[in-house]
Amino acid sequence: MCGIVGYVGRRDAAPLIVEGLKKLEYRGYDSFGVATIGKSLEFDKHKGRISENARSAIQLKGKIGIGHTRWATHGIPNDANAHPHMDCSGTIAIVHNGIIENYAELKRQLKARGHTFRSDTDTEVVVHLIEEEYGKRKDLLDAVRTVIPKLEGSYALIVIADKEERMIVARNASPLVIGIGDGEIFAASDMTPILEHTERAMFLEDGDIATISREEVTIFNKGKVVKRQLELIDWSLEDVKKGGFAHYMLKEIYEQPQAFYNTIRAVNLETVSEFVRHPLSVTVVACGSSYHAGLIFKYLLEESCRVPVRIEFASEFKYYPPPIEGLVVGITQSGETADTITALKQAKTHNCRTLAITNILGSSVSRLADATIFMRAGPEISVAATKSFIAQLAVLMQIVNNISGTKCNDMLLHAHQSIEEILLINLTDAVSVCAGAKDLFYVGRGPFYAVALEGALKMKEISYIHAEGYAAGELKHGPFALLSSETPVIALCTPGDTYGVMISNIKEMKARGAPVIAIGSEGDSELPDIVDIFIPIPRTTPFVQVLTSLVTLQLLAYYTAVALGRDVDKPRNLAKSVTVE
Amino acid sequence: MECVVLAAGEGKRMRPLTAKRPKVMLPLANRPMMEHLVLAARDAGITDFVFVVGYGEREIRKYFGNGSEWGIHISYAAQRNQHGTADAVRSARDLVTGPFLLMNGDMILKAGDIANLCSQPAPCMGISTTDHPGDYGVILEDGGFVTSLEEKSKKPKSNLINAGAYLFTQEIFDLIDQVHPSPRGELELTDALAGLIAEKKLKAYHMSYWMDVGHPWDMLDANTTLMGSLDAKNAGTVEEGVFLQGSVDIGKGSVIKSGTYIEGPCVIGKNCRIGPHAYIRGATSIGDDCHIGHCSEIKNSIIMNGTKIPHFNYIGDSVIGSGCNFGAGTKLANLRHDHQNVKVCGKDTRRKKFGAVIGDDVSFGINCSINVGSMIGSGAQFAPNSSIEGCTGDKATIR
Repeated sequence: MCGIVGYVGRRDAAPLIVEGLKKLEYRGYDSFGVATIGKSLEFDKHKGRISENARSAIQLKGKIGIGHTRWATHGIPNDANAHPHMDCSGTIAIVHNGIIENYAELKRQLKARGHTFRSDTDTEVVVHLIEEEYGKRKDLLDAVRTVIPKLEGSYALIVIADKEERMIVARNASPLVIGIGDGEIFAASDMTPILEHTERAMFLEDGDIATISREEVTIFNKGKVVKRQLELIDWSLEDVKKGGFAHYMLKEIYEQPQAFYNTIRAVNLETVSEFVRHPLSVTVVACGSSYHAGLIFKYLLEESCRVPVRIEFASEFKYYPPPIEGLVVGITQSGETADTITALKQAKTHNCRTLAITNILGSSVSRLADATIFMRAGPEISVAATKSFIAQLAVLMQIVNNISGTKCNDMLLHAHQSIEEILLINLTDAVSVCAGAKDLFYVGRGPFYAVALEGALKMKEISYIHAEGYAAGELKHGPFALLSSETPVIALCTPGDTYGVMISNIKEMKARGAPVIAIGSEGDSELPDIVDIFIPIPRTTPFVQVLTSLVTLQLLAYYTAVALGRDVDKPRNLAKSVTVE
Repeated sequence: MECVVLAAGEGKRMRPLTAKRPKVMLPLANRPMMEHLVLAARDAGITDFVFVVGYGEREIRKYFGNGSEWGIHISYAAQRNQHGTADAVRSARDLVTGPFLLMNGDMILKAGDIANLCSQPAPCMGISTTDHPGDYGVILEDGGFVTSLEEKSKKPKSNLINAGAYLFTQEIFDLIDQVHPSPRGELELTDALAGLIAEKKLKAYHMSYWMDVGHPWDMLDANTTLMGSLDAKNAGTVEEGVFLQGSVDIGKGSVIKSGTYIEGPCVIGKNCRIGPHAYIRGATSIGDDCHIGHCSEIKNSIIMNGTKIPHFNYIGDSVIGSGCNFGAGTKLANLRHDHQNVKVCGKDTRRKKFGAVIGDDVSFGINCSINVGSMIGSGAQFAPNSSIEGCTGDKATIR
């Protein structure tokens, strides 16, 4: 996810673009850049946040310009990889949000034809392609229209060129909106940079290419001129950032199918070192939700690949280092979690190979580890991790899949559809039970034990209800003493080896009077009869049921917290990324 | 001459009437307040306008369009977040090319004054007199030049005030660039003028007529004044047995049914149903699509579009928003029995007779009683027999 903005109008473009990019920072903030058409094409781009660093960008001259705030996917955050990207002659500039999937092949061809590349990004191929066509056709719109069919992947892009009094935009599977002002027109990833200037907007659709001048927008799709509805936007700035959702957390829960799919597509083990593909043993170090992802990984890898996995809290690892060997995997969304970084450093001193799994390109952990796999969750704003957790699981499941001989390719590529289905689940009854409880127990077996832990963590984090996850069999070794009609139990009970024993566990809990909310497979005939509330999830493979039951528990925590009037996105006492011990 | 009209603010003091429209679009004699100003400016020979719009801009754009209906040309500049008057003027930069007239959109001026102001040497400020200068920018004048300007002074030094109409050259944009935000974080136009005033370079022009509408109750006087020049006109249907006295203007598609008695001045919009047996007393303006029914009496009031006052109602000296519905028998009082000035939410209206300010889409059950000086928020709903007084919030439900 990145943010882009473009302007053609009667005012100086650079200050407007800089202000616009600041509003888009929630989409990415590791580097930024602005290009304008003044006497010639000028640009200014840097690593870092635009809100701290925009003084030189504001000075650019001209009434046409583009800008970009980046969330790195191809190439680490540095000045060269920051957008805009220019062609060889420095007269055409482009900003891009999305991923050009066939860029490697295109880049090879372009290099062979003598183009000089200045960055490691996928985006730069597009501007060189446009350069070639613009040289032939002398018309920027024609050039872009010729290049677009050659691109595979997702993109929202804006192109400007020296001596052209317009910008050309194109979209496919990445958002792009055009704001119609007074004698000025804006284009941007969303309404946030536009709202201050106009309420009239057109939302482009996939395949749209448009030429935008001060007064006029002409949109083409499949070679024909098309009209897009002019809409009047009533949203506030916060509304737009939340995309119409009440909280960032809910928005991010709804982004999970996309985050999972994007990550599955992006993780390519062939490019990762040998030691990841054939480990003899694995040690996972992580904190919080990432620890739970590691625990799920342990169950899946051990069962599918017979590779022993140990899982350690990063914070414990430092002071009580166990004897370690084999591959050490550190999982951290932010890439800056202090404990996880220390643990990986320690693993290196024991001569272990290290792998980092993180959401942030160029983060500390990615510079430290021998190899890094990036998830494609995009920026996560809510403190409670949701889509980054699902994306971690995507990485870990893809690793399991690769080590076990890519048996699960098809299943993983379609898993997001089941997640999508589960988003619309009705949890009203379960929420009213949970919202009235002081204590909750979550139980499951195997990977669903880890799901139970994560479900309880989400509930604790945002609803402030005391919630504990247990391996279902362990309940009898202590917590049974706490069960009563006041302590609802959330049980994960899906088909498989443990189904029978889970059913007996649930019956025992019922015998102690505890209300039981069970998550089970659709069409289960036994479970609904013995529990108080039955929540059906699609009947699929255990891998996918791990994902769908997890999303169900996220939603349960979210709706319970909302019912209790909690500040969901900013739970008390918690920080998004824990950079101290 | 080009003219910039500032119309971006909500006009918070006019709440709850601004729920659906900015202040400048509030109707006086059935035209938006700003239309009266624009027509005066047009009659003074101005053809090119820039409207600076923000709050409720779509109402303004929809109503005025490109101005061709009025024989003028309108372009727009958006000031969507209000950062003060200087910021508003700045948003019109590059849309005016030479010397230009600048006016606040929420006042009423006469064409002659506008023409005279335009013929002064720029920069020049229109000034006027008032009996409550403390609410405005108070001016001191010496030899035709403004020598002091003090905003909302507690102890005004004169009764001369800044009328909110100026003649400027392009130089004003440079002066605005040098303005620093005021303590409340806004860029004030008057701060941009400080240098000109100190150097005695800002001319003063006395407006012969100036009216501003500060509060909802001020709309009634403005309405009466503007209807003073109303001509009788009938574009609708008047049934037999209707009595019309004074100037009554009836819009297209409106029907006045038998037994109705109207004392002008009174303007009735399009597609209204009036009567049978309604009694309307001037100066009253009734918007489009309204229904004033059997045995309802309206006196000296402003009724906005789509409001229904259908059976046995009394409305006097009041401002009623659009889309309201009065249950049968609901009435409002407009006179205190101690004959003191009516107060609304603690503010003195300086009027002996005032009924209520009622927002948009308010519904009354049958037989509600609305006391003098009530202020009722938009979307409020009242159960039958409610006794209503004081201030009622937006969307309140009163049982």
